[in-house]
Amino acid sequence: MDCPKIQELSYGEWSEGFHKRLSDRRVPIEGSLELTLRCNNNCIHCYCNMPAHDTEEMAREMNTGMITDIISEVADEGCLWLLLTGGEPLLRPDFKEIYLYAKKKGILLTLFTNGTLINEEIADFLAEWMPFSTEITLYGATEKTYEGITRVHGSYRRCIKGIELFLERKVPLKLKTMAIRQNVHEIPLMKSYAEGLGIEFRFDSLINARIDMDKGPLSTRLSVKDVIRLDIEDEKRLKEWKEFCDKYIGHIDSDRLYTCGAGLNSFHIDPYGNIAICIMSRKDTYNIRDGRFREGWYNFIGRLRETPLSSDNKCRMCELISLCGQCPGWAHLEHGNDESPVDYLCEIAHKRAEAFGVIR
Amino acid sequence: MKEFLRRVYKKNGNIVYRKIADEFIMVPIVHEIGDLNSIYTLNEVGALVWELIDGTRSIKDIKDIILQEYEVTSEQADADIKEFIAALEEISAVRLFS
Repeated sequence: MDCPKIQELSYGEWSEGFHKRLSDRRVPIEGSLELTLRCNNNCIHCYCNMPAHDTEEMAREMNTGMITDIISEVADEGCLWLLLTGGEPLLRPDFKEIYLYAKKKGILLTLFTNGTLINEEIADFLAEWMPFSTEITLYGATEKTYEGITRVHGSYRRCIKGIELFLERKVPLKLKTMAIRQNVHEIPLMKSYAEGLGIEFRFDSLINARIDMDKGPLSTRLSVKDVIRLDIEDEKRLKEWKEFCDKYIGHIDSDRLYTCGAGLNSFHIDPYGNIAICIMSRKDTYNIRDGRFREGWYNFIGRLRETPLSSDNKCRMCELISLCGQCPGWAHLEHGNDESPVDYLCEIAHKRAEAFGVIR
Repeated sequence: MKEFLRRVYKKNGNIVYRKIADEFIMVPIVHEIGDLNSIYTLNEVGALVWELIDGTRSIKDIKDIILQEYEVTSEQADADIKEFIAALEEISAVRLFS
């Protein structure tokens, strides 16, 4: 026999190997769980937010017991990483109960929050029961820009206070933002602020429609020119893009609609108990309040994952698909069709290819 | 060794053992134990010994089960289990119960 062995491995090395070892097996090792879509901010670009005190919405949401039952099931099926997100997850009065339940199941938890509801009690709780990671979205580097986006007076100061409470207690924290027309001029300032605190900062520059297909957020979208400018003016980001191009440029050799990891090793669950293949692609869902996660994952999502790509799909042979955000989720939100190209993304992919020297 | 075989160990309740696919992982749930930059994994025999540690079984009881399950000499099982328990104690995953 082999001798009984315990091995300490660096997290990064182990995680990379673990993902690779499971890449051809459908095990739901990671997922996202929206505890609510309600939010105490009212951001102009948000893809999902509902009013914080919306009673109809509250009534639709799963109660504590339903959520902990689902957490128990996902843990039994192999979920190791779970993102708790929203809306604003800290709006739920049972947040700590849900969090602790998942933690005690041995799940590595990440929390996405706007930071404005973090008080000493929440910060102390998370310092005791450390999350794997937390990410606070910073909407601007100044109060004026920040609150011009959140449309809530006092939200900037509360967010900064939340960041400080986490840092004082060494709760693992990263900052991020959605780069939109209203805050693009403050991206360098936000980055400097995070660097000054000694924490990571990242931004996403691609705004999509709301999950109910409302196109309102699209008015905040950056111009293609600004997206490319942000890609190339940051040396680290540009270097990462070029390394990415060296590895992944070329068409994807698959006749399936879903070619990413969605539904392969990851899942999404909304506040009403619907399991979807990913956070973006929610047209087809299975309600696990009435059924079981196992059934939803292995049968429903498994079948969805096998959806064939149409033979006339315009993106099928595109060499730039890896530079493009095009996916069934985006296409559906923008066009009501899983395969229609999103022109905005297509243009960005071509401009990126020029900027990174992939095509001339 | 006789004294060691009489020992009973108890698991630290702040470490959760997960079996995912074919892998055995130990996840610390409070920040005093372990750190997020590293992760502990067990091999199959290690996982069996871990599962058998329950605050009731002695090391001898565990060893007897190992001897039934695997082809290994009594001396080798003693040495391997002793080394494994020491590694678990080092990361505070178990403590001597009696």
